[in-house]
Amino acid sequence: MSSILKKTDLGAWAAALEAEVFAPALADGVWAYQPVAPGANDGGVALTHPNTARPPKNFAFPQREVLYTFEQLKGQAPKLTETLPNPAPVVVMGVRPCDGRGAPRNDMVFTGAFDDPYYQSRRAKTAYVGLACNTPPSPNCFCKAVGGSPSSKEGLDVQLTDLGDRYHVVAVTPRGEELIEAGGKLFAEAGAADEKESQRLHSEAAKCEQRTFGDLAAAAPALKKNFDSEMWQSLAKACIGCGICTFLCPTCHCFDISDEVTGQSPMRGERVRTWDNCQFPDFTMHSSGHNPRETLGARLRQRVNHKFLYFVENNGTQQCTGCGRCISFCPVGIDIVAVLDRMIQA
Amino acid sequence: MVDIVNIRAHAKDLLEKGTVKMVLGYQRGTAGVLAEPAFITDAGQADHLVWDPTCVQNLALYLVNEKKAQSHQRDPDTRPIAIIAKGCDSRAVAVLLQERHFERKDVHVIGVSCGTLGVVDKNKLSKALNGRVATKVEPHGTDSFKVTTAEGFVDVAAADVLADRCLECACAYPAMHDVVFGEKHEDRGYPARFTALGQLEAKSEDERWAYWEGHFNRCLRCYACRSVCPMCYCPECVVDSIELMVDPTTSADEKANRIKWIERSAVASENSMYHLVRAIHLAGRCIDCAECERVCPVDIPIRMLNNKLEKEAKDMFGYEPGLDPELPSLVASFRDDDPNSFIR
Repeated sequence: MSSILKKTDLGAWAAALEAEVFAPALADGVWAYQPVAPGANDGGVALTHPNTARPPKNFAFPQREVLYTFEQLKGQAPKLTETLPNPAPVVVMGVRPCDGRGAPRNDMVFTGAFDDPYYQSRRAKTAYVGLACNTPPSPNCFCKAVGGSPSSKEGLDVQLTDLGDRYHVVAVTPRGEELIEAGGKLFAEAGAADEKESQRLHSEAAKCEQRTFGDLAAAAPALKKNFDSEMWQSLAKACIGCGICTFLCPTCHCFDISDEVTGQSPMRGERVRTWDNCQFPDFTMHSSGHNPRETLGARLRQRVNHKFLYFVENNGTQQCTGCGRCISFCPVGIDIVAVLDRMIQA
Repeated sequence: MVDIVNIRAHAKDLLEKGTVKMVLGYQRGTAGVLAEPAFITDAGQADHLVWDPTCVQNLALYLVNEKKAQSHQRDPDTRPIAIIAKGCDSRAVAVLLQERHFERKDVHVIGVSCGTLGVVDKNKLSKALNGRVATKVEPHGTDSFKVTTAEGFVDVAAADVLADRCLECACAYPAMHDVVFGEKHEDRGYPARFTALGQLEAKSEDERWAYWEGHFNRCLRCYACRSVCPMCYCPECVVDSIELMVDPTTSADEKANRIKWIERSAVASENSMYHLVRAIHLAGRCIDCAECERVCPVDIPIRMLNNKLEKEAKDMFGYEPGLDPELPSLVASFRDDDPNSFIR
């Protein structure tokens, strides 16, 4: 069963949800998920964004997470206080299919072999209301090349499809059903014509031209074969070693843990987890002074191999959903699609 | 008008004669409309070089990187590197020379004049095209660009899509060069230097604080601004200590208690500290190529910080970096008429 929501009712729906609602808004020239003010009425929420600059991964995996606090009086044992988050429910609206597919991939990292209570407690309270792409929002989109689609529902709780003046709404998960129920009369039952139109848009979108590197199954073996290739150095020749590609990635999840001391006598502070970045010089720096990934070529290789080789070996799927941010935002045009293409051709 | 054919011929000649080991320039990329850096070592590849308003990067950064790489090579090729340099880029090369980062003989500057134009701002271009995607940008006359999109050609006024730095450019013609392509235009007809800064300075202290707090709050600390800056060449940066001396006798306490000037957390206080440290370190050195601002994925107006200190250096010391490679750098020199009212 699916429903119809008038675009002008989107704000009313957001207001009806018993959750903190976030939606993309243009702030200081950047599309970013912004809190929707309570009581946002007509036009308060409008999903007109291409895609946000930052992916929505921070809702479950914030850039800074306090793991616990510590305090120690001189000569005494340190006292540790757990700080497990207990967040209010969050609903993120307008999530593009690529970013939706990022969520289950991050779940694989923080659930299963390692159960991460910080991630899980936030993730359990986060719902994603997706927006199918009728046309590719970026010229560097390549979701189809990595097994996704412009109308993928993976990782989403609700999927919206833009039918002009209204959305065709599909609940993907039980949480999604609850969200739609909370909207009550704002939702009307979708007719056969609306469902047909939605399907038509999805199949049209699937035909849109996107970037591709060819055979996805060929990527992992090609990367394995070319581990020692000199191509890595030349492909990374222009790399400046910044963190844009991974910080803006919906699936990059590496982190660092450090102690932030906030006061002395008694010595107290917080142990925090912060995003880390395989492109930074200190990421693999050993205390001996040796750095096993000293060159930018080795770091580019790590980024690509993690997504298309190691993650595939460990989890049976790519750790890339084709959003294209790392390409579009790279200051010097380093292009993961072109890199994979080169590796597969080599 | 700069004709790329002439630049290619010059690059080819240099490489064929072997007078340079590499030509740093621009080529078409796959990532979008912007050109990407090219590292041409083979005369046969000189035809890959392009020159148009999408050649945004300041390639002087790679002179620094090459110098660093050389110091690790047993038998380095010490021939000069040729670099295609816009006016601002040429000033960056001059600052690196002022700071003795390398010698004049190590670099062959192929200057290109931006004439009455400059380079495009990708965000402004995308806004001006209203959803259409540019595939090519060419100069069109003296004040507009001819933009190619899948839907056809669009003529866009240069003033609407030029990078902010270009609109206030004081050095559209290379300050130093071994060879130069393009003409010099005295009056470019754009706002005077520091116009945007002046508007910001006119705000109240509270307004300015709110302005910067808002911007610093969303900083991701990806360090793209630092990484892209040719002047940010310190082997060890205040934000990531990779040179921490650790030997077998270094105790756990010593490791744990090393001073962390700036925490990793991307929060307003640490972010502000990072940006202010960087700005101070660039005082009297920044030549306003504004690469820092261009690469910022969350559009923090970093250029305004550097502009402020550039203006301070100019107002207080009459100093403008990167115009004369022979001039001592501001912070490494003293002149009798330097203001010294702070010495009591």
